[in-house]
Amino acid sequence: MASFPIRFVTGIEAKGNILIFLSIAISRSEPSLISLTSWDSIYIKLLKKSIPHSSLTKGMNLVKRWKRSFFQIIKMGLKAEVLIVGGGATGAGIARDLARRGIPSILIEKGDFASGASGRNHGLLHSGARYAVTDPQAAKECIQENRILRKIAPHCIEETGGLFISLPEDGLEFRDRFLRACEKVGIPTQPLSPEEALTLEPELNPHLLSAIHVPDGAIDPFTLVLSNVKDAEDHGSKFLLHTEVLSILVEKDKVKGVRVKDLCTGEESTIETSFLINATGAWADYFLKSLGLRIGIALSKGSMMITNRRLGQRVINRCRPPSDGDIIVPNHTVSILGTTSIRVEEIENFEVTPSEVSLLIQETSKMIPSINGCRFIRAYAGIRPLFIEQGKQNDRAISRGFVLIDHEERDGIKNLISITGGKLITYRLMAEKTSDLICQKMGVTISCTTHSVPLPGANQSLALRERLKNLGRKEILCDCELVKRDEVEKILKNEKLKELQDILHRTRIAKGTCQGGFCIYRLLGLLNESGKDFGDSNKILKGFLEERWKGIHPVLWGSAVKEEEMIEGIYKGIFNLR
Amino acid sequence: MTLSSKKRDSLKRNADLCIRCANCMAVCPVSRVTPLFPGPKHAGPGAERFRRPGELSVDEWVDLCIGCHLCDSVCPAGVPISELNLLAKAKSLDERGRPFRDWLLTHSYLYGWGGVLFSPLTNRLLRNSMVKRLLETILKIHRKSPLPDYQSPTFRQWFKGRSSRGGKKIAYFYGCFTNTNEIDVGKATVEVLEAIGFEVVLPPQDCCGLPMLGNGDFNGAIKKGRKNLSSLLRTIRSGMEVLYTSTSCGFMIKHEYAHLLELPGSEDLAKHTFELFEFLRTLKESGNLNFHFKKLPVKAGYFAPCHLRALGIGFPAFEILKLIPGLESKVIEADCCGMGGTFGFKKEKYEIAEEIGKDLREAIDRLNPELILTECEGCRLQIRHLTGLKVLHPIQILRDALRSSSDQEVFDVGDALKNKIGLKS
Repeated sequence: MASFPIRFVTGIEAKGNILIFLSIAISRSEPSLISLTSWDSIYIKLLKKSIPHSSLTKGMNLVKRWKRSFFQIIKMGLKAEVLIVGGGATGAGIARDLARRGIPSILIEKGDFASGASGRNHGLLHSGARYAVTDPQAAKECIQENRILRKIAPHCIEETGGLFISLPEDGLEFRDRFLRACEKVGIPTQPLSPEEALTLEPELNPHLLSAIHVPDGAIDPFTLVLSNVKDAEDHGSKFLLHTEVLSILVEKDKVKGVRVKDLCTGEESTIETSFLINATGAWADYFLKSLGLRIGIALSKGSMMITNRRLGQRVINRCRPPSDGDIIVPNHTVSILGTTSIRVEEIENFEVTPSEVSLLIQETSKMIPSINGCRFIRAYAGIRPLFIEQGKQNDRAISRGFVLIDHEERDGIKNLISITGGKLITYRLMAEKTSDLICQKMGVTISCTTHSVPLPGANQSLALRERLKNLGRKEILCDCELVKRDEVEKILKNEKLKELQDILHRTRIAKGTCQGGFCIYRLLGLLNESGKDFGDSNKILKGFLEERWKGIHPVLWGSAVKEEEMIEGIYKGIFNLR
Repeated sequence: MTLSSKKRDSLKRNADLCIRCANCMAVCPVSRVTPLFPGPKHAGPGAERFRRPGELSVDEWVDLCIGCHLCDSVCPAGVPISELNLLAKAKSLDERGRPFRDWLLTHSYLYGWGGVLFSPLTNRLLRNSMVKRLLETILKIHRKSPLPDYQSPTFRQWFKGRSSRGGKKIAYFYGCFTNTNEIDVGKATVEVLEAIGFEVVLPPQDCCGLPMLGNGDFNGAIKKGRKNLSSLLRTIRSGMEVLYTSTSCGFMIKHEYAHLLELPGSEDLAKHTFELFEFLRTLKESGNLNFHFKKLPVKAGYFAPCHLRALGIGFPAFEILKLIPGLESKVIEADCCGMGGTFGFKKEKYEIAEEIGKDLREAIDRLNPELILTECEGCRLQIRHLTGLKVLHPIQILRDALRSSSDQEVFDVGDALKNKIGLKS
């Protein structure tokens, strides 16, 4: 449970008047973020000051009764001007955009931030070049947003640059179309000779015919989403994580609110709202189902593989029409090979299949031959929500552009908006368009500023080198990614985390070679030591290891097997975990 | 740095083999005593994931790797950990520039003759506390560090004055330290080899290059390696085997020339290069070694230097010493003396070296020997410095225990012998 925001208390002079204190505190705080235990201690402190000792017990009972009734009121009466469902890049972006326009919102997310496609992609800062030939509109959006993100989120971006390489079997026909298309949509390109390309990226296939340099880059989606959240929070937005929407309450042609459940405590409550935004990404249709609505989202699974080492310094793309295994993105300490595209029906349960693993290695190793012998640490998949247009049979042919649906026009529900599709890189544009629509519905005209105002933390560096430099000066919790103990302690102290996964999203813990095998028990020890209790440690550990296994087993061969055997030995043999 | 890029890439690729088991962390003598060095797993394969070609180094701490190779020898995955450290160290020093001190420490072969020529003066100066203070201030060589004495004449000069005895020819790589600072090691080697019927030849030789390599100077090391190779290859092609008494020089010639520096011809040379006691052990195993020892009632501690361990030939000197009647020798159970070649001389590292040596000193205290035996000159300096005990190369005690026909008078006279090797004073 999160702790009581202490800033509310310190400013108040509680000279015995509990009622005044309580009313102020409650009116200014977020009900589901209040920890009962902290409340109790504050009550008791105040009681000791104000009520004679003899009547302490009586007072306590009285307070308990008040407390109960207050909470009842809050539960019934939580109201939001705008309620956003979905804590991915889009949802967080909308929250920030609206907050910056002075419209506070509440965002509900059933997991942690970036739990869906926002956190399950290859972290590519698209130049748009990939879509220049097949989807010029999406390409145009990408390059515009690429330029904006470099300005507003430099701390999330590594400006690696990217190459589109043509191999002998590809020929140069597509390359010429590609160059023309890039020029048309305004993507700057710079053709390189094979020799120049090999000097830049020595690991490339030496038989390449040509390479085109484009402004691709690497982006850290977690930091991006969290920075948006931070800015939105600073400007009055509220976020309810691990909170699931149970049902949408509709009255005539309007959404009245939603019934939600706190997945950690099991408490249910109702949130009233004037506007409801469906930013659930791949879950968009699932979310609308109860209203009998459907946007028509195709779910396309994209699988990726992570190498142990960074294979190159630039994004490497295959210069051919979009297809499987055509990209290698360097990201932090690793490279990510992507992707596949397989239509799926289920959003929650999917895994990377052996045939996908073979396909990815087979295709990407044509670009960087050393992939054949290199070590992998994980495979994972994300679900792309694709908006099906008429007549497009192949998922690769469906536009990567986004869809903004005003359900008033489409289905006659006045205050419901859906936003889905798109790319991570166009999240800000999607948020801008959604917020514009909200403003229009509200009848106000406040212009968007998110394209020019930098995100909080923009002055910080990516800090990869810093971590290496400081090695040896501080206690290390995660060996592989060099995460310091105090880094984790700071997060534990400053943020309201409810699950182990929340910590993992906010640090690089468990993202390295051992995938948490050697550091997760240290982290649990730290949690225990610092009094943070996420529940039964054994259960958490088991849950983590099961999740970890899903990612590891598709790429388990070679020296990774040795390591896995040892890790298994540690957990089963030493920790006696069954 | 002129290591081939292919070699560099293959070393870096091998970082992928690390299974994070931390065996290396358990044996690293440096990270055991200071948090400043993160330990082999982090410094080698771990940090490799963070290093980018073309970016300036930020890992100055890698300079604290003492180069003992213990991590390599315990790694179950075969990661060349200390070599990764060495590459990073070389890169960092290439960028930062090397202090004159490092040049001085690694080029003793250039001024060693001077030390020898004026040895009475040099030795007095090097022991003078004022001079030591000056060295510390100007050159950053720690004032307490155990600087070696110079001896005159040099081993080579001594050898020239000898008349050859005939017999099967065998080449001896004595190394700079034997030549100018501990010539008795060389003398003992020659005497023992001649006693068992060999004629010792000293092929032209230069510093093996290990000091440069250890200080991240690949260029210097490769130059020395090439020079030695051309001479030593000629030697082995004329049918001789090459023996060495310094395990550090030996490790360089036998292992690093081929494995790390990939010098042409080095594999050939490695096949014909042997540690002196390894050679004696082979002779013994084939029944060709007939030693007649005197009784030598001495309690000795044997310390196996890092490079001997890294060579993976066991402890041949210890096995041969067991043949000496009366000699009670025990292995000192400690990993590293802390000297690490030139490591322990450096002002910023002296304390770490001292701390590393603590374990060794305690192990020696427990054993309470009269004499310490070890093959490495760095270890000998450090152990003398740490304990004040007499420290010899095993070949010196072997020579003294050999019963020669012309040496009848000391036969079975333990005390006289002890006097001779300087135990009684």
